[in-house]
Amino acid sequence: MENYFFAEERREAEEKTMAMAMAMTSRALLLLKGATPTNHRRLLFTRDIATFSSSIPPLHARLDRAIVRSCSTSNSPSSLEPPDLPRLAATARISLTPQEIEEFTPKIRQVVDWFGQLQDVELQSVEPALRADTDGDQLREDVPETFDNREALISSVPSYEEPFIKVPKVLNKESE
Amino acid sequence: MLSATAHSQLCRLRPLPALKPRPLTAAAASSSPLADQSPPSTPPPRPSPPRSQILTLRRSLLARETTAVQLAESYLARLRLVEPRLNSFLHVSDSVLREAQAVDDRIGRGEDVGPLAGVLVGVKDNICTADMPSTGGSRILEDYRPPFDATAVRKVRELGGIVVGKTNLDEFGMGSTTEGSAYKVTANPWDISRVPGGSSGGSAAAVSARQCMVALGSDTGGSVRQPSSFCGVVGLKPTYGRVSRYGLMAYASSLDVIGCFGSSVADTAILLNAISGHDRYDATSSKREVPDFISQFTASNILEDKPLEGMRVGLIRETLGSGVDSGVVSVINAAASHLEELGCIVKEVSLPSFSLGLPAYYILASSESSSNLSRYDGVRYGSQAVADELSSLYGVSRAEGFGSEVKRRILMGTYALSAGYYDAYYKRAQQVRTIIQKSFKAALDENDILISPAAPSAAYKIGEKKNDPLAMYAGDIMTVNVNLAGLPALVLPSGFVDGGPSGLPVGLQMIGAAFDEEKLLKVGHIFEQTLRGHRFVPPIIEDDNTC
Repeated sequence: MENYFFAEERREAEEKTMAMAMAMTSRALLLLKGATPTNHRRLLFTRDIATFSSSIPPLHARLDRAIVRSCSTSNSPSSLEPPDLPRLAATARISLTPQEIEEFTPKIRQVVDWFGQLQDVELQSVEPALRADTDGDQLREDVPETFDNREALISSVPSYEEPFIKVPKVLNKESE
Repeated sequence: MLSATAHSQLCRLRPLPALKPRPLTAAAASSSPLADQSPPSTPPPRPSPPRSQILTLRRSLLARETTAVQLAESYLARLRLVEPRLNSFLHVSDSVLREAQAVDDRIGRGEDVGPLAGVLVGVKDNICTADMPSTGGSRILEDYRPPFDATAVRKVRELGGIVVGKTNLDEFGMGSTTEGSAYKVTANPWDISRVPGGSSGGSAAAVSARQCMVALGSDTGGSVRQPSSFCGVVGLKPTYGRVSRYGLMAYASSLDVIGCFGSSVADTAILLNAISGHDRYDATSSKREVPDFISQFTASNILEDKPLEGMRVGLIRETLGSGVDSGVVSVINAAASHLEELGCIVKEVSLPSFSLGLPAYYILASSESSSNLSRYDGVRYGSQAVADELSSLYGVSRAEGFGSEVKRRILMGTYALSAGYYDAYYKRAQQVRTIIQKSFKAALDENDILISPAAPSAAYKIGEKKNDPLAMYAGDIMTVNVNLAGLPALVLPSGFVDGGPSGLPVGLQMIGAAFDEEKLLKVGHIFEQTLRGHRFVPPIIEDDNTC
């Protein structure tokens, strides 16, 4: 059954998402002169978990939802929880206005319901295709190269203070 | 493969002289069978097959009948004349005349010039150009100037091409009307109350209205082919891997390809030749040899009676059913009859999984976009919101920078990739992709090419589908399957339906086997040169005798 999963699996995946978000965040403070990571960077890593975790519903709430889902026997798309816009927006890091949430919710639900038609297709023994079955995977040697137009690259940075890309403080008031 | 008969027929056609610099004598430069031989100021007495603007230009340049500067001036004049009504461009280059002068100087000194010397190329704004803004149609990249040229752009420039400007598009390629641009709405040159299609609507409109000779676009789910059909131009989506994606702003990386627009098959083929080939900066670009796509083209006056004798053509049954405008069905049936007259054996072929391609495509594209667009965080480039804390800098920069459709697709993709939902959506969509790839392979084992419409209707009114995402998505049914299978497809103007001041064009889509663009272009060229009774020059430039 496609929709059967445990809170534990969900937590693992959420951690993966967090790791990705952290990787994205870690880029916020780039060392552009080839130095090794400093404590600044490590600090950013550990503290940001706290910031990001606060946007995730508490574990018991997730467990409740997982139980509801695991009890469901229907394989129809409706047994998958419909999109929770505020939560998705937090994960995708897009600050939506209440008006946008109101406007987007029916549109996104409509499309997601329409996606659901694939639940009824018999796909048991079919291998998933990552992309077109053409050529590719011509990986080049993993050797660092100097980018020619470094000046232009840096001039695109909205807020720069040699040798750092500057961002506002990473911590919100509560976690301070 | 071609049948033995068709192959021998095609081989007997006289090959076009190779596209390399020829001596600067009028006699040597006037021999191309594809170039227009009549003075450009004489309007044709009746609809004549489209001529290659590139080869015509080349002939006149090398014969010193015209200069690159003169030509650039005439194109820029027309561009400016129609641009207030069309809005095809987000940015027009200020160095066109300077670059044209450099071409003239080279010719003046008797130096070799590249096959695109003096050719004016429009570039979709999600393809990076170092000397011009590249916004992807998004506020989040307002005024952004990339530090490099996309590989396709670099190749165009190296061969002498001149980038005339950056064309409008649905933000990051997400849309089918070009109404999704953060900056302006492009109009269709055939009827300015209608959309040009999308997402490469600016490129299609610009080529249609002869604001440039050819243009680059990108095709993730039909974004080159559907606007080609709506604007009455030739559009080519190459095989996935034929053209480097380096410098193309990623939307759905497993589906994205850079494609070509032209007002003739020859021009489209010449542009494809210029941009194809392996690139070390795109690991998915193929190392296969790139054939000279137009070497076996021939002039219409020396075509045999049945130049496509024995070619097997499969008409995809599922693309002519309910939901497809009857006018479009008539045009496609007429195109099939025309192919039969040329010697093809046209049979219906069924792709039972065809309708599954649409939801599978939208799941994959939304999911990949949610990941790809995470790079726009307001930190390293692009617009940055004022915020006193990092997470709100991300959230507000993205909220202010992205338009509604992009936000919705990111959110849908975030949903589909959520823990526990992955198997139900993303993995299932990938399994459907396998089924679609297999069904195309089976159909192409039995047929040389497949044909279908490029869209279920001709161009519709601006605003008509703007607030109904599913209605807009449904319009992509003819094209998305081809991206899922990674195959090449060519769209050719084939006929008209009623609408607008002088009818609305309808395109025929030809789908080929992976990396067999050569066959598509060869068949497309013969189809185009033998199609009678239609002239695909839009009313907005009807009075312009040079078109």
